[in-house]
Amino acid sequence: MDIRGLLLANSEHEIAGDQAFDVPLATLDVAGKSTLQRMAERLQQYGISQISAVVESTAPSGIRNFGLPSDVACVSAAPERFWKTAESAFNDMAQSGAELVILVRLGAYAEADFEKLVQFHIDRKERVTRMASDEQMLEIFCISASRRNDAASLFRTQLAHCRSECPAFQHDGYLNPLATARDLRQFAIDILTRHAQTCPAGKEIKPGVWTAPGAMIEKGARVLAPAFVGSLARIRSGAVITRCSSVERHAEVDCGTVIENSTVLPFSYVGAGLDLAHSIAGMGRIVNLHRDVTVEIVDPKLVGSMSVASGKRFVTSAAEALTYLPKLAFQGIFAAKKAEKADLHTTLRKTSPALGSAAGFETSACDTEASHKFPNMVVARRYGHQ
Amino acid sequence: MDINSRPVVVKRMPERLNSRTAREFLRDVRPFLSADRPQLVFDLSIVAQIDASGVEMLLKCMSEAHKRDGDVKLASLSDQAAVVLELTRTERLFEIYETSTEAARSFSGFLPNAMRQQLLHNKRSTHPLAA
Repeated sequence: MDIRGLLLANSEHEIAGDQAFDVPLATLDVAGKSTLQRMAERLQQYGISQISAVVESTAPSGIRNFGLPSDVACVSAAPERFWKTAESAFNDMAQSGAELVILVRLGAYAEADFEKLVQFHIDRKERVTRMASDEQMLEIFCISASRRNDAASLFRTQLAHCRSECPAFQHDGYLNPLATARDLRQFAIDILTRHAQTCPAGKEIKPGVWTAPGAMIEKGARVLAPAFVGSLARIRSGAVITRCSSVERHAEVDCGTVIENSTVLPFSYVGAGLDLAHSIAGMGRIVNLHRDVTVEIVDPKLVGSMSVASGKRFVTSAAEALTYLPKLAFQGIFAAKKAEKADLHTTLRKTSPALGSAAGFETSACDTEASHKFPNMVVARRYGHQ
Repeated sequence: MDINSRPVVVKRMPERLNSRTAREFLRDVRPFLSADRPQLVFDLSIVAQIDASGVEMLLKCMSEAHKRDGDVKLASLSDQAAVVLELTRTERLFEIYETSTEAARSFSGFLPNAMRQQLLHNKRSTHPLAA
């Protein structure tokens, strides 16, 4: 039987006013892969090899990959043309001989049993079958490709109604609505704590710590389980990655920064000596989940972006490498005196190096009565088992 | 007994706190900071954007105030300002209040132990039955 998959990713389902990022959440990496990639791979696991994806994009439409496997045909469409493009993708499948089409709109990520869904659809001789979880209807359908009018009515109502009756197939596996940034963060936690079947896209270098190929963890940096470091991501010396944090591909966490229960999005830079907690950082903004607020960060010293173009990144790192030795020589000649190695007490009393001339501002927070009585005592935050 | 008769200056910070506005703000508050034991409250309720130079300026103000035995307190932090202060680990350096009034009042709220006991003693001696 010719069964094909059609994946749709747009941001319409995301809760109004909560669209933290300019792209659909399904295209953002979570522990190494986007939800779109994970769903395409799941369909392939069930033997559905011919898959197409339609992804909403404000960039000029055309064919872009979005990190999908090479055998998945992917088309990006402008928001106003999204549903038309989706409908024509379905019609193309029907014309090229598909008998059943599994339609998944992301949206919600459900670890669906597609085999059972198809069996249910065939056994009941339905035109369209919809997946549901308890009372909630999911946007996962099994459509008989010959029923083009039913499919057309679905696409024209943005999957809200079907012209024929649409029985529900109950899903009882993992489900994440992926409607808000909080859901995206929860998805990362669920992957890293293995509540979901889907795994982090990397090698488990020690229990609970996954790194993708090319991830660079400098000496002195600590990655405490559960955590994920994406491909070609860089964790600089003294940084701490902890509590289900995920640093995605090509991201950089600078020296001494603590990333706690947070996600650093691909191609993002988090400055030195910062404290990022309960947040998603990237694309020039921070979504703070504790405060439930999205904050634009204009200062690239705090949160910046790396160039997506590999050529530009190469030029930047080449320039850094070339200027490294002259910079050291200059500092060696003109530095007033050799910097003393800071102890833990001194380090804890200082503020972020990203703060320019105020960096290293000594706090009086440690100058308590107790600190005078016990000069060797410092108040330090504990991470993981340490 | 007048414990604290020095004025508390409350200053509202601009909506965007970048290097230029931070410089201007610092110029505005410098006369207050150079007074003896300055007491300043910065109202951050309308701050929508703050960068490293804005935080740097806040630290500079606090440092100046501390040099003269005074203090700078923050009030009505907007979410944006609170997130950036948390991110740069500077929120722990300041006393932060819900409102400017509370922050201003806090300057007179602190009494050294010796002064508190003296006040209590005075109170007891004037109203012996109340004790």
